[in-house]
Amino acid sequence: MSDWQAMWTVFLKELKDALRDRRTLMAVFVSSIAMGPLMLVVLSSLVGKFEKRAEAREIVAIGIEAAPTLRNYLERQTFTIKPAAADWEKQLQDSKLGDPVVIVPADFEDQLAHGQAPRIEVVYSSANQRAEGGVSVVRHVLQGFDQEQVSLRLVARGVAPGALTVTRVDEHDIADTASRAAQLTGMVPIFVLMAVLYGSLNAALDTTAGERERGSLEPLLATPASRGALVVGKWGAAFALGLLIAVLSCMSFLPAQSMLRSESLAAMFRFGWVEAAWFIAVLAPFAAALSALMMAVAIRSRTVKEAQANNVVLTMAVSLSPMISLFNQEGESSWNLWVPPMAQSALMNRVLKNAPISPLDIAPSIVVCIVVTAAALAFVTRQLTKRAAQ
Amino acid sequence: MIAMDDLRKQFTTGRGRQARTVVAVDGLTLHAQDGAITGLLGPNGAGKTTSLRMLVGLVAPDSGTIRVDDVDLRTDPQGVRARLGVLSDARGLYPRLTARENIVYHGRLHGVAADVAHARCDHLARLLEMESLLDRRTDGFSQGERMKTALARALVHDPDNIVLDEPTNGLDVVATRALREALRVLRDETGKCIVFSTHIMQEVQRLCDRVVVVAHGRHVADGTVQSLCEQAGSDDFEDAFVKLAFGGEGHAR
Repeated sequence: MSDWQAMWTVFLKELKDALRDRRTLMAVFVSSIAMGPLMLVVLSSLVGKFEKRAEAREIVAIGIEAAPTLRNYLERQTFTIKPAAADWEKQLQDSKLGDPVVIVPADFEDQLAHGQAPRIEVVYSSANQRAEGGVSVVRHVLQGFDQEQVSLRLVARGVAPGALTVTRVDEHDIADTASRAAQLTGMVPIFVLMAVLYGSLNAALDTTAGERERGSLEPLLATPASRGALVVGKWGAAFALGLLIAVLSCMSFLPAQSMLRSESLAAMFRFGWVEAAWFIAVLAPFAAALSALMMAVAIRSRTVKEAQANNVVLTMAVSLSPMISLFNQEGESSWNLWVPPMAQSALMNRVLKNAPISPLDIAPSIVVCIVVTAAALAFVTRQLTKRAAQ
Repeated sequence: MIAMDDLRKQFTTGRGRQARTVVAVDGLTLHAQDGAITGLLGPNGAGKTTSLRMLVGLVAPDSGTIRVDDVDLRTDPQGVRARLGVLSDARGLYPRLTARENIVYHGRLHGVAADVAHARCDHLARLLEMESLLDRRTDGFSQGERMKTALARALVHDPDNIVLDEPTNGLDVVATRALREALRVLRDETGKCIVFSTHIMQEVQRLCDRVVVVAHGRHVADGTVQSLCEQAGSDDFEDAFVKLAFGGEGHAR
């Protein structure tokens, strides 16, 4: 029997075996395919709520009836003024109230008229993130009121308001929509990387430590099929499953896009067929290396349970390294592209940001993945006979 | 035909100062002819399983030669494995595959065409009386059902040489008899060379044409059951075995 035939036979058997493990497969489907888009939709609905509140332009105020000038200004700025509930302080603390509360003193107009600066309090809780977010809006609009009053007084005294303005600040945000969205969609690479891991994990462990545990490795090695062919067939199945789950995971973000609740996020999150294809191209070599590595770790274990414990380090590395690039303030370094899975994460983020990717960017990770795959498979082949007799 | 000559194997356990050397096989010689069932009889720890693992190439011998149908294991391990049907000590099945799928999988790995493997599977199922099991997943199989499936798996490529390591372990009387009958059929009708390792006297007496007695990894005696009894000067085969294997010291135990 040729090595190719043996490889193909083992590959088909392992694939069939893994696909019959319905329970594990269901768990993988839920965690890798449904979870990502679900998180994105939930996140988008949160962002959507933020946007709605920003659009609503509401200010919660106490004692505003004593300040018609301020009310007039706020209404001219198209703000709606809402009265605060009786227990507003408790609501703020419990995060039930999503806006800061503006407290206007009863003698506001009187003080204003006499040139005394009336004290306006803005109450919020830094533990209440929603309300804290609204503080800058309130502060901004109150500063606007202040500015207007000052200008009016200066004009009344015959002074040009420009005398108080030394510089003028104009802000320009040059981030394009795609890279702005990438801040939020930065979690997508983490999800698809984990999908690769969970897709391969079960097959990689079952075909190595699982064979040892159930005592089927020794009979398998009593066949004339070469060790290399057995290992490559097994790896092929683990790799194919990892890739399959990765493809499904990428595809699941396509319909998720239409379910996004936040209009601006939906407009910014560009994930079409082209992006999905890029993701798969980036993930394929990674899936190959990861499944081979997991097999190399597992072949030394006598049971699947032991193999799972030994593979925790790999799982952690895969899940945590994209976080490094997510939180890295210094931006991407060139060495990142040599280290899987940071390289894959960086490349996928570039795809999401619509940044150009040259073949030179993608080549290092492919080379590293091929080397890792070959080394890990050679190790498993060497270990196979040794471990079968233990 | 299986010929193992002067096989030696020792293992080192532990490291550094705690390293201990265990001699598992110490100059074992075994020749098994075609058309005969050769019993490899020895107490627990006599080196039977290690010897059979060396035969398949799972453990490399320190010295000695192994030839199967005149193919040397050192020069052509795959050729040796292709000529052997082995039911080893480890007889795990794939629980999510049916018995048939388990059997055909090994047939395919032995280079048997798919349709031939299926036909062999049906033939072996009739021989081992396991037709009703064939299309059930092996998860939940009884010990006897598992053994039959593992045996069919070992024989699917119709090997000329069959090696069985304690095949009746955990089997009930009915299953043991069925296995014995199947082995007789294989010997008489197809002239297979069968090596049968066990520590159960009864099985050897009922089944084996020749017996090789091993103890402490060494070949102690060989011959027919009757000639071994004569050699030990005992009418009872069990007594003869104890005398041969332990030099009579087993009597006192």
